[in-house]
Amino acid sequence: MVSKVVKVVNPHGIHMRPAQIFVEAVRKYPCDIFFRYGNKRINAKSLMNLMAACIKCGSELTIICSGDQEEEAMAEAVALIQSGLGE
Amino acid sequence: MILRGIGASEGIGVGQAVCIKEEIFDYSHVVYSGAEKEKLRLGKAVEQFLEKTAHLLGHRERMASQEETDILNGQSAMLQDPFLRSQMDEKMETGQCAEAAVDEICTMYVEMFEGAEEELIRQRATDVKDMRSRLLSLLLGRESVDLSRIPKGSILVVHDLTPSMTVGLSREQIYGIVTESGGRTSHAAILARALELPAVLGVEHACETVQDGDSMIIDGGKGDVLLKPASDTCLHYQKRQVRYQQERSRLEVYRNQPTVDGDGRPIHLFGNIAMPHEVDAVLKENGAGIGLFRSEFLFLSRNSIPDEQEQFLAYQQVSNKMGNRPVMIRTLDLGGDKQADCLHIGKEENPFLGFRAIRVCLKRPDMFCMQLRAILRAGAQQKNLQIVLPMITSVQEVREAKRLLEQCKKELLEKGVPIQEDIPVGAMIETPAAVWIADSLAAECDFFSIGTNDLIQYTVAADRGNTNVEHLYSCFHPAVLREIQRTIQVAKSANILVGMCGEAAADPRLTPLLLAWGLDGFSVNASSILPLRRQLSFWKKEQAQIVANDVMKLETTEEIEQYLQQVQVK
Repeated sequence: MVSKVVKVVNPHGIHMRPAQIFVEAVRKYPCDIFFRYGNKRINAKSLMNLMAACIKCGSELTIICSGDQEEEAMAEAVALIQSGLGE
Repeated sequence: MILRGIGASEGIGVGQAVCIKEEIFDYSHVVYSGAEKEKLRLGKAVEQFLEKTAHLLGHRERMASQEETDILNGQSAMLQDPFLRSQMDEKMETGQCAEAAVDEICTMYVEMFEGAEEELIRQRATDVKDMRSRLLSLLLGRESVDLSRIPKGSILVVHDLTPSMTVGLSREQIYGIVTESGGRTSHAAILARALELPAVLGVEHACETVQDGDSMIIDGGKGDVLLKPASDTCLHYQKRQVRYQQERSRLEVYRNQPTVDGDGRPIHLFGNIAMPHEVDAVLKENGAGIGLFRSEFLFLSRNSIPDEQEQFLAYQQVSNKMGNRPVMIRTLDLGGDKQADCLHIGKEENPFLGFRAIRVCLKRPDMFCMQLRAILRAGAQQKNLQIVLPMITSVQEVREAKRLLEQCKKELLEKGVPIQEDIPVGAMIETPAAVWIADSLAAECDFFSIGTNDLIQYTVAADRGNTNVEHLYSCFHPAVLREIQRTIQVAKSANILVGMCGEAAADPRLTPLLLAWGLDGFSVNASSILPLRRQLSFWKKEQAQIVANDVMKLETTEEIEQYLQQVQVK
């Protein structure tokens, strides 16, 4: 298991479009990917879960990857969040 | 019979009603046939859903807007979420039929999204509802509504317009839209305006009152729906419809022209907005800026005050879209007829003379400073924002507001937060008190903005919503005109800019007076920009001056109105 803290830079937080970009990009990894956001644990491969979490701009979240290819998944997930998911 | 609603998209529609009742999905008769069979049924429905959506998306030319494409794409993406499917599977494994699984899980997400703080996520609740209906109708083997085949000349009467319904909707077939739910910012309203279809929204019980095939007329400007009108009424509206269309095409030529008076002198013609997305409509008409951003609309119909970040994003969005054009943000104008639940102001005997606008802001500096900080930060990039203080009645109010503004600037600068440090501050001139101390206010302000709606009611002491006294409420009252003239004169001699943002600014009968007195800026609703640009171009200063001199000699509201009506350029 690997984990890392990142900051959300999307001006309107993680809404539909950024969530869609994230989910589609990490789908290919076999490992589990979760976010810890406040006291919530979010299945980061689930579009609905990501949106329902209402992750705000400027907030910090912990990415947790666990399973096959967890390192690769982590590297891509961190890069995606830091790049602002297309925004 | 006349039904009333919210006029959400201008124009006259005359046609036959096509009613689409809100579908109630009753699945109580469905017998649970085991987890595997239920999952298979759901799998098939999902497959059909995705196919149908792909098919709709394949007809891109039928889409009214990019927004619809995004919504449909989003629905497919949501439904392909493996986690969502596993939640539905769990329900089916515990003895529920596929319909119940879809209904319960979708409803759970609808509630979660509706409770979200972020507006962009709240909006998605509608999409999940639409997805739920579409899935249930597939599971129950019902035909889903397809509006692409309804007869020409239809006026659509629906509970609400959903994105999947509106694909393929065209101006060729549909002459107007009436809905039971929704307001000016709903999907239906945005769609209707994009298609330039007349629409009246929020008409209660429309689906029960109107029968399929009823002849009807809708007036999307006024928000009226005339049911089974008499033939002479029909004729009257048909003529109005033709006139409306002629007028629109006559106005088209003014769209990309500069705003000038008859002498070619440039005039600032701005747009009024309540929500950030309305900026698009102002830009479409080539407005020179936003002369009034009614910031309080971010605070209405919600339980909590929008935090600094949410306000910042809203103001920044407007600032960025307007680029180098100015944006005048009126600070919170709540109270009076605009009660925000989130402020807990409580009931007042006399709300218009009570705790409202700047009075609330100065009593609640925490909330006011939050707004000021959000504005200062939002203007950091474009440096195009200006602050307008509402309901000013004394110089102290302006001084106190400016003191708080300086405090906010200092605070943010110390933290190293980028802001628009040089931000102009103006006062709304909308009380007789402000008019009479305009000279003192001018020394404290960078500009004035005359708000006629309040100025009229406080001057003639009449509530325009009260039918017994509404005849007194008129922008042609000599007292009101003298106040406007005086305010402009004071601003001129103090060398500050003066604009007007009330409804009177758009009244073509007042145009010569305002030009003669030297008003610098007009700010009107987006739909009034082209008509006013046209009016302004007719008046040379010399002629306007003659009209103004004549008018100021008249003594009654009626005489003045009549005179101005006669000289108005049609």
